[in-house]
Amino acid sequence: MSFTRMMEGNEAAAWGARLSRAEVVPAYPITPQTEVISHIATFIAEGKMKAQYIKVEGEHTAMAAAVGASVAGARVFTASASQGIAYMEEALWMPPGRRLPIVMCMVNRALAPIGGLRPDHNDSLMQRDNGWIQLYCENSQEVLDTIIMAYRIGEDRRVYLPVAPCYDGYFVSATATPTTVPDQAEVDEFLPPYVHEMYSLMPESYRPRPFEMNIAKARYEVQQAHERAKAVIEEVDVEYSKRFGRGYDGLLEEYACDDVDAVLMTMGSMTGTARDVVDEMQADGKKIGLLKLRGFRPFPTEELQGLAKRFHAIGVVDRNTSYGSAGGGIVSMEVARALYPLEDRPLLLNFHVGLGGSDVTMRQIGYMADKTLEAVETGRVEKAVDWVELVDLGEVM
Amino acid sequence: METNRLFDEYYENSYIQGGTACCPGCGGPLFWRMTLEALGPKTIIYGDGPCAYCAIRNIKLPNFGIHFSFVADGSTGILAALAAKGREDITVVSSGGDGAIGDISFGKVSAAAERNENMIQICVDNEAYMNTGIQKSGLTPFGAWTTTTPLGKEAPKKEIPLIIAQHRVPYVATTSVAYPRDLQAKMKKASGIQGFKYLHTVIPCPTGWRFDPAKSVEVVRLGVETWVWPLYEIEDGVLRLTLKPKQRPVEDYLKAQNRFRHLSDDQIKFIQSETDTRRKRLLENDGKRIIL
Repeated sequence: MSFTRMMEGNEAAAWGARLSRAEVVPAYPITPQTEVISHIATFIAEGKMKAQYIKVEGEHTAMAAAVGASVAGARVFTASASQGIAYMEEALWMPPGRRLPIVMCMVNRALAPIGGLRPDHNDSLMQRDNGWIQLYCENSQEVLDTIIMAYRIGEDRRVYLPVAPCYDGYFVSATATPTTVPDQAEVDEFLPPYVHEMYSLMPESYRPRPFEMNIAKARYEVQQAHERAKAVIEEVDVEYSKRFGRGYDGLLEEYACDDVDAVLMTMGSMTGTARDVVDEMQADGKKIGLLKLRGFRPFPTEELQGLAKRFHAIGVVDRNTSYGSAGGGIVSMEVARALYPLEDRPLLLNFHVGLGGSDVTMRQIGYMADKTLEAVETGRVEKAVDWVELVDLGEVM
Repeated sequence: METNRLFDEYYENSYIQGGTACCPGCGGPLFWRMTLEALGPKTIIYGDGPCAYCAIRNIKLPNFGIHFSFVADGSTGILAALAAKGREDITVVSSGGDGAIGDISFGKVSAAAERNENMIQICVDNEAYMNTGIQKSGLTPFGAWTTTTPLGKEAPKKEIPLIIAQHRVPYVATTSVAYPRDLQAKMKKASGIQGFKYLHTVIPCPTGWRFDPAKSVEVVRLGVETWVWPLYEIEDGVLRLTLKPKQRPVEDYLKAQNRFRHLSDDQIKFIQSETDTRRKRLLENDGKRIIL
């Protein structure tokens, strides 16, 4: 039976894996992901989840075991964070090229040495080039729903790619928000058992996956799968919302964007705060809206191009750093590339904020919104890249 | 034509196919032919990169591999998937080279042994990183020339089989392609045992050891006869020497390979005395429990 209660993001993730009937869970603990796997261990111990839980000795092995299990035909779930994702990196390149629909939660946490235990997005964003689909979640409910959808997306024969539902450590992982856990039978109807049509490792049906020796062709194949995934993600979202009453607008969500001059673009947990700020500012007559970037890979280029024509300025909020980059954070550079072909493109501002998991306050969001509106008014960008936390905004609020 | 027919027939009945990416005289294809003959068709082989994988590519049975930093982990996943599907009739073999098992994946093999994963872990030991062009590994023996030890390796070889045995796994054995019956008997025994089985095999490498490819089997046989490469098994902690050949001087083995040609008489004497001591200790403990 479906039920609703307060639930932390990590428990919601464990429920997502359980409802998706993950068969193999190779995992290694790391803060702030730990509760995901301890909840799963409890589900299994209580006989409520039938999965092989492999207590591996490190993240590199966790992902390699995930690859082995997925090749051998099992639905696989795992989760990691920060240093763990970095340690796992060599293995993370294996599933996309092998077209394995593994689902792994990346619970965002800043990387050492200038990090801490709280979140920014460098750990998952540094995996942007290896072929994983990345969907950024805002709260526990979205984490749970996204995991179930992730299997449908990844296991779609048009896609066959691994999917990473990403969510902020602490702000999502350890913060309880109202969460509805759907009925198992409903999820079973939505998500059929995992069958990989490309190959089999079983002795009686052994079919090795044809090895593409032309590397450009092999890479293009993964690129095409990402292109096709855009439509599949939208499709699955629509179907999910029809069945369960909750949808997330696929890769990019517009929030209060009717008749606005400019928008902020956020990713992850700060989006919740930004919604409130935008509401307040609109009540004061300020024409600022919000775009929530949910899918970073594949990047919603066409969708963003379509929307951008309506705005005079976009303020991209980057909870990450890319030292020595062409300009600003990782998301802003993607946005710049996406918008460049437009003849009448909006002004682009970039803000670094919430680094190392520091709070992104309402005041900071208000500041960023004001700066973006100011650019619309003056017709020019005063500061292309703004390190908001280094600006004295007075009292914290 | 008659030769072609014989080859076709041979490969039809073998679990490995003709044509190989391995160097002439490599013991790899030989090893896999013997091993798979012993294990039969209900086997999945998971392997690491370079040399060990060159041979695996020619296997007709289900196989799959990653790089050499991935020993024993993909196979752990395969075992979990088989368990999830209720398939207990399949033997899972995990293969790694000496550089993988002795160095970069050492922790992985140790962890799989600790979890007592139900796999046969094989070490295909040709005593250096041969595929990258003969670089020293943790399992390169004392004195051996490699491109990174131009004056000979300073440290002795790691005793991996004994280290794995200390994990209290049910079965550990050393094998050699020069002794196919011994190798196949151990492989068959391992496949009947539940838990982590470790089989360490020495593979002759004419390219890296610097000898005539035609003499591959001869050279590894000398290794066994000189007691440089003793054949034993450790079952439930009890050591048993499976072959006790009349000892030949180590010089016979060393002189057969140019990787040892720079050794001084003193160094050869040192290797002889080390080998003698080890032989004595092995014989003293033959039939005894060595894992406390």
